[in-house]
Amino acid sequence: MIRRRKSLRDFASFDREKRKIRFDFILFFLVLAISSWGVLVIYSATRETLPGGVSDPGYYMKRQLIWLGAGIIIFIVIQFINYRKIQRYWWLILALGIFSLVAVLLFGYEVHGSKSWIDLRFTTIQPSEFSKIFMVIVLSAIMSKWRSEKVSNVTFRKVVIASFAALTFVVLVLLEPDYGTALIYFIVFIGLLFISGANFLYILSILGLTAGGFFLALNAGFIKQYQLDRILVFLKPDVSSMEGAGYNLYQSKLAIGSGGLLGKGLFLGRQTNLSYVPEHHTDFIFSVIGEEVGFIGAILVILILGIIIWRCFYIASNSSDTFAMLLASGIGFIILSQVVINIGMTIGIMPIIGIPLPFLSSGGSSLISMFLGVALVENVFIWREVRKSHVIAYQEFK
Amino acid sequence: MGLNIKIRFRIVLYLLAILAVVLILRLYFLQIMSGGLYAELASENISREKTVSAPRGNIYDRNGKLLVKSVPVKAVAIEPLIVSENEDVMRILSECLNISYEKIKEKVEKSNLPYTDRLILKQDIDTATMIYLKENSDKLPGVEVIDLYLREYDFGFLASHLLGYTGEIDEERLQSEVYMDYEGGDQIGLTGLEEAYESLLTGKKGKIIYEVDPLGRPVNILEETDPISGNDLYLTIDIDLQRFVEEALYQSILEVRQKKITNTDEYYKVPGGAVVVLDTRNGQVLAMASYPTYNPELFVGGISQAEYAELEDPENHSPLLNRAVMSFPPGSAIKIVPAYAGLTEGIISEYSRFTCAGVWYGLGPDFPKYCWQRGGHGSLDIRGAIKNSCDIYFYQVGYGLLLKNNNTEELLQQYLRTFGFGSATGIDLPNEDEGLVPDKEWKKDYFKDQPGYTVWFPGDTVNMAIGQGDLLVTPLQLAQAYSILANRGLEYKPYLAKEIKDSEGNLFPDSSEDDYQDLNLDESFVKIIEDGMVQVVSPGGTAAGTFWDFPLSEIQIAGKTGTAEFFGKQDYAWFASYAPVGSPQYVVVAMLEEAGSGGSNVAPMIEKIYRYLFNID
Repeated sequence: MIRRRKSLRDFASFDREKRKIRFDFILFFLVLAISSWGVLVIYSATRETLPGGVSDPGYYMKRQLIWLGAGIIIFIVIQFINYRKIQRYWWLILALGIFSLVAVLLFGYEVHGSKSWIDLRFTTIQPSEFSKIFMVIVLSAIMSKWRSEKVSNVTFRKVVIASFAALTFVVLVLLEPDYGTALIYFIVFIGLLFISGANFLYILSILGLTAGGFFLALNAGFIKQYQLDRILVFLKPDVSSMEGAGYNLYQSKLAIGSGGLLGKGLFLGRQTNLSYVPEHHTDFIFSVIGEEVGFIGAILVILILGIIIWRCFYIASNSSDTFAMLLASGIGFIILSQVVINIGMTIGIMPIIGIPLPFLSSGGSSLISMFLGVALVENVFIWREVRKSHVIAYQEFK
Repeated sequence: MGLNIKIRFRIVLYLLAILAVVLILRLYFLQIMSGGLYAELASENISREKTVSAPRGNIYDRNGKLLVKSVPVKAVAIEPLIVSENEDVMRILSECLNISYEKIKEKVEKSNLPYTDRLILKQDIDTATMIYLKENSDKLPGVEVIDLYLREYDFGFLASHLLGYTGEIDEERLQSEVYMDYEGGDQIGLTGLEEAYESLLTGKKGKIIYEVDPLGRPVNILEETDPISGNDLYLTIDIDLQRFVEEALYQSILEVRQKKITNTDEYYKVPGGAVVVLDTRNGQVLAMASYPTYNPELFVGGISQAEYAELEDPENHSPLLNRAVMSFPPGSAIKIVPAYAGLTEGIISEYSRFTCAGVWYGLGPDFPKYCWQRGGHGSLDIRGAIKNSCDIYFYQVGYGLLLKNNNTEELLQQYLRTFGFGSATGIDLPNEDEGLVPDKEWKKDYFKDQPGYTVWFPGDTVNMAIGQGDLLVTPLQLAQAYSILANRGLEYKPYLAKEIKDSEGNLFPDSSEDDYQDLNLDESFVKIIEDGMVQVVSPGGTAAGTFWDFPLSEIQIAGKTGTAEFFGKQDYAWFASYAPVGSPQYVVVAMLEEAGSGGSNVAPMIEKIYRYLFNID
């Protein structure tokens, strides 16, 4: 059997007729589960202190529910489009991404010193959240042209083109300025380069150039020392740094630490519910989880998110073409980097940069873009071409 | 898909696993290993505690008349650590409390110590101010309107030395172990019974534990304990008797001040005096007066510096001091002790007679000792010696006690101590003097810088036998000693608090009640001394002039006068007594400073008090 499969490999072709409806339930249900949990956590976090001066205790929960509904609809709708069509129109998506990021610079408004929001009257959106997905599509499209069959076909020229595309996104986000999101973009870019099979020398060069640019920016005064201090506050966790970000971190550690093994119980996280932890329904949502459901609950969240990430890479590695592989990996990298940095930030092992926790943080742009992302991964799974060998093997098994 | 890519995917998966493990390990450290610590920090972070003042217990007299009560007032309390950093708060407070900004700043900074968690800025604020402060509490972090209980005295000046006064706890006390449960601004007993029974009178504070939001605004109450009011105190004092005694003391002082010292143009100064009335049967203090006195109302809500300076002014003879428990030279009033000592030690017998010629040369021709009656008393036995208060007789008793066993045992001092002198009676009042029974050791120590004075001279004992020299006693000690005689040797500890009523209304007796011991005195000797004391008030005695129309046949009084010389001052006048002889009920002792003879200047007041006690017109 194995020998036959091997021998058939060279004749691999796609069997469109016998393709069955496939659906990765694990990915979908875990995403649904973790997002629903998020709604509950947001309710717990906001029902008492009502950030933003709203009067309805369920305000943030209901908003999140609506976005969750929208996310599910988008998830389903996306599945009717073959990802190859998206690949074909990558330049349109590049245009959309650049357009939205330029638009936010022109018409956006500032929150916490970053001009990253556009007010659309009926709702506000954060283009940099959606552009993450756009960038992944664009980079995947560009990079997938590098190689068809052979692996190490990533030429210097192609790396430069991809780098320019990525740089465009990163610079636009830096201009807002939203350093946290820009960092995610950068990590995703490096991750895609890595998965694409690019020579390590290229990757190291890009890292080196970036580091050089960073120090240049620091010296030239584009990045202020206090901004750096704020980001690196986690490195000196003494109480003397109890102001600003240090205060956030201290309160967050108190909340999570005080949760203990089993937590204080849902809706009983006083530390977070009374908003001692700032941004406890958005960037610091994990502190609510840590306080209310404790170590066990926190591990569960990390496990679910880990399985979702694993699923992205699994689907990527089992995809039928390079674009699909890069697309699913790119989404995997987005979720991975955000989860690690966000959770790490709330427990004091990562810099305090304002990025949301995927599927859990309150916020429409984040949730919907995440659903868009996993929808694309699911799409890759659904629309992947099955090699004849698989079908034959399946039939023989029957 | 090439091999290279597969490895790269594997690397990503490993990375994913490693990162997950790192996050979980960090969570394990935070939540499992440090969970307890963080839980503690978090609850400190989030919950605040505030206390609710408990009303202080009331004080009643023996008949249930309310003497002192607690009245609630509103007060402005601040947390110095918070307010000191906020000038706006101090400015607003200055405006609405009508205290200058500088004064508030000074007060806050002066007490800006870690243990001063609360400071009272103003007591007894009006309703308008209270409402203003409560409405603007958002603008006034660290400021709070609290309930406070202040004292109200229904009988004004009366018994002020016994009751004492309360005031705000100071920082020194706040630091001490004894006042661990107290916080800044608390009212505590500072003198008198208020101080002695502080732990019983002060209630148990209520507690409110509440959650606050990050701005310190209360969100909800977690735990609430109601305050428990302090125990009520029922005194042995009869306030009507107390009033009578205080007025009698005051009147007699005014009267004596009108008198001139014999053969001079100098008036008696009489800066002060004291009266003690005890129930001989149990040691209860029925009245205790001290003059000059003060108004405890002055201390309510904090006394002003000017008022306090006036009370402390030497011109005013220290009205805050309770002279009933202060030491003075007793003069002849002490003679009952050498009399008993002489009889017991065999120095004299019931019929031993000495002849008084006005002067005695027992210590040598160079050391003549005179009797107060320079003309001499003639031949006297012990009864007569007491009746006439003959000094010559008692010089010889003292000398005899000194000579016995070469004064190795210091017999006179021993007997004085037996009768309670030289140590505090243990009455439930703070700051009771011990008095002084001088002896060799004391002299050696006291005059250690003046060699030559450290030796005990025979004259020291001889002088002590008539209540002169360095001997010092308190009016209360003297009253107790006479009570011992009246009781034929039973010594009761004097006390003021009869019963205690807790917040639930349960009455229980104070532990000091009926605490007595039998001194095993020889009754026949006591009877001899009593005979002499009966004669003091009888015709021919040193106080006969005062008691000539007192119905002694119905109510026999036994008494002893005293006139103590005090270097550089006029004589201190004493009269110590008990009645009725046979079934004694009362001991009455009075002392007037710089008032001359006890027989003529103190006894009349005592006579008035007995008339009151026994309802005689």
